[in-house]
Amino acid sequence: MNTRSIRFRLGAWYAGLLGLLLILFGGFVYFTLEQFLERSLQENLSKEAQTIGEALLSKIGQTGDKYVIDEIEEHFAPRTTSHFLRVTRGDGSILYQSGQPQDASFDPDKVTTARLNEPAAWSEQDTPNGRKVLVYSMTYSDAGGIRYAIQAGASNNQILQVLRGLLLSLAIVLPLIVGAAIGGGYLFTRKALRPLDQIATIAEKITSRNLNERMPEIGTGDELQKLAVALNRMMARLEDSFHHVHRFSADASHEIRTPLTILRGELESLLETHGMTSELRESLGSALEETERLSRIVEQLLEMTRLEAGEKIADFKRFDLAEMTRTAVDQMRLLADEKNVRLNFAGTENLHVLGDPIRLRQVVVNLVDNAIKYTSPGGSISVSSVHAYDRAILEVADTGIGIPTDALPHVFERFYRVDGARSRQLGGTGLGLAIVKSICTAFGGDVTVESSAGSGTTFRVELPLEPGRLPNL
Amino acid sequence: MRLLLVEDEEKLARLVKRALVSERFSVDVARTGRAGMDLANTYDYDLMILDLQLPELSGSEILRRVRRGNPNVPVLILTARDAVADKVAHFEAGADDYLTKPFAMAELIVRVKSLLRRGTGRRENILRINDLELDRLTQQVRKGGRSIELTAKEYALLEYLMANSDRVLSRSMILTHVWDEGFQGATNIVDVYVRHLRNKIGDDDQKLIRTTRGVGYAIRGDGPA
Repeated sequence: MNTRSIRFRLGAWYAGLLGLLLILFGGFVYFTLEQFLERSLQENLSKEAQTIGEALLSKIGQTGDKYVIDEIEEHFAPRTTSHFLRVTRGDGSILYQSGQPQDASFDPDKVTTARLNEPAAWSEQDTPNGRKVLVYSMTYSDAGGIRYAIQAGASNNQILQVLRGLLLSLAIVLPLIVGAAIGGGYLFTRKALRPLDQIATIAEKITSRNLNERMPEIGTGDELQKLAVALNRMMARLEDSFHHVHRFSADASHEIRTPLTILRGELESLLETHGMTSELRESLGSALEETERLSRIVEQLLEMTRLEAGEKIADFKRFDLAEMTRTAVDQMRLLADEKNVRLNFAGTENLHVLGDPIRLRQVVVNLVDNAIKYTSPGGSISVSSVHAYDRAILEVADTGIGIPTDALPHVFERFYRVDGARSRQLGGTGLGLAIVKSICTAFGGDVTVESSAGSGTTFRVELPLEPGRLPNL
Repeated sequence: MRLLLVEDEEKLARLVKRALVSERFSVDVARTGRAGMDLANTYDYDLMILDLQLPELSGSEILRRVRRGNPNVPVLILTARDAVADKVAHFEAGADDYLTKPFAMAELIVRVKSLLRRGTGRRENILRINDLELDRLTQQVRKGGRSIELTAKEYALLEYLMANSDRVLSRSMILTHVWDEGFQGATNIVDVYVRHLRNKIGDDDQKLIRTTRGVGYAIRGDGPA
């Protein structure tokens, strides 16, 4: 899972915040409830003590001890409520003391006896089982001046049980709520952000070749729709200006063609004239050669513009790249022989690719021609076409003069010449490798170069094999 | 032979006409599409050469109208547009051949002659220059009665030169005809093959296959062409 994704971060933030708020809320409820329970217990106990005094002890002269004891047992039922009650006479003897509480939370005999005449007060006593007994002690004087110490107490056991119950339910409910929030948030953000994935996928695929593609229509009315619409407008503008440039290059090339034809025609007809000096003939020939080169530059520029604009290639078919390479290399062999350069070919059969065989032959021819030009007599050139996984690999390796490292990144640029004077002398247009690159890209492949000055250069063309026709590896 | 040339570029029209006239064709030139259409309707031409971008009426439109009335007259299209799609469209519309600017006049002449020949179905099986003889049926080449072994490409090169003897053929014409457009990058392959061919046919003094600098090669005999 990508922890930097918006989906993850949003979910984590919401879950964290929600969890924190719930914990705070739980704590608040816990402490409020604890306070409330303690206070009501206190109220209860003090009321019990006062009632014992005012309602029973005040009439003990008429009713007798036994009545009071029975009344306390019956009225307050300290055993069932697990309360502690004790009435001590002025002489320290005990009039009444409740028995063992039902929940056995404390031992009544261990509760400290209250001293007489002290003001009403609360005290806490620890019990062996870790609980506390809360005891209210007060002094009651009846009309005759006889005094009693009344104690009413209770273990905090019940409060603790209630609070524990609360904690338990919080511990169960809180993770459930946070989990539901995470799950719901995940689903929601996934749904909300799904268009973003689509937008990224499409944007990734956009090149100069398919600028006419558009983001899918999102009718969500949210920020993503705004983004998609903005991107689509941007692409429309890009497509527009790209078409402008494309049309300009095409128009320029076309406009240059007619004057070039005339220039060439005029020069050729001049050559037909009789009685021309050989110098004049030479100059005319030279002018014609340059016209020829100019024509080739215009043609190649236009061809590249077309390849880059993704113009439909009419002759798109399946063919054996290795077979085509072998034939092209055979036809170039004479050129290598002339220069005393060895030209070898090695290849796998049935290397089927989809493309225009003439255009791809141009790739082989340009690379081999280049290699022959820059390899000294006695050197060698190895051409191979093999497959590697789902790619066809065509390599042209020479033992030539090599390309300086700082020039390597530029060799596929238009009109880039490593050694300007020399390559122009050899009749190049400065576009050979740029065309190779354009063609490779047009057929879904790529071309790379490796070289070390002085020991040779290797051009490597990768093309996708025809799908479903992978050779047995 | 009467040819119609519809081309609005004055200089180019003049050049093409001059080249065709020197080949003993009579040529009518129209400078606008409408004028070309009028001429095409008036006379019975043996061949038409149409530029595509014309004022008033485009070359494609003329081609369409001509084909309605006369499906057999050979039509050669001249254009500055060489997109594959354009070519296919014009062959489908009934053009017989297609020449992209810039072109060499020699190429135009070769194409015109081949189109006119196609109509008559006439083709010589034996080509002869001096004592050099090429038999198109057996693909045999003899010099002074002695048989010469040529590779397939050397044969194709020699056949192309001999079929168009006395005409200077440019390297790119030779490349496209003998190899294919994929070989345009092999700048000196034609020169190397010509040199080998010269060796084999004993033409070391370059009297038979002559080089015209800046243009290309031509094969020429001593006698009348």
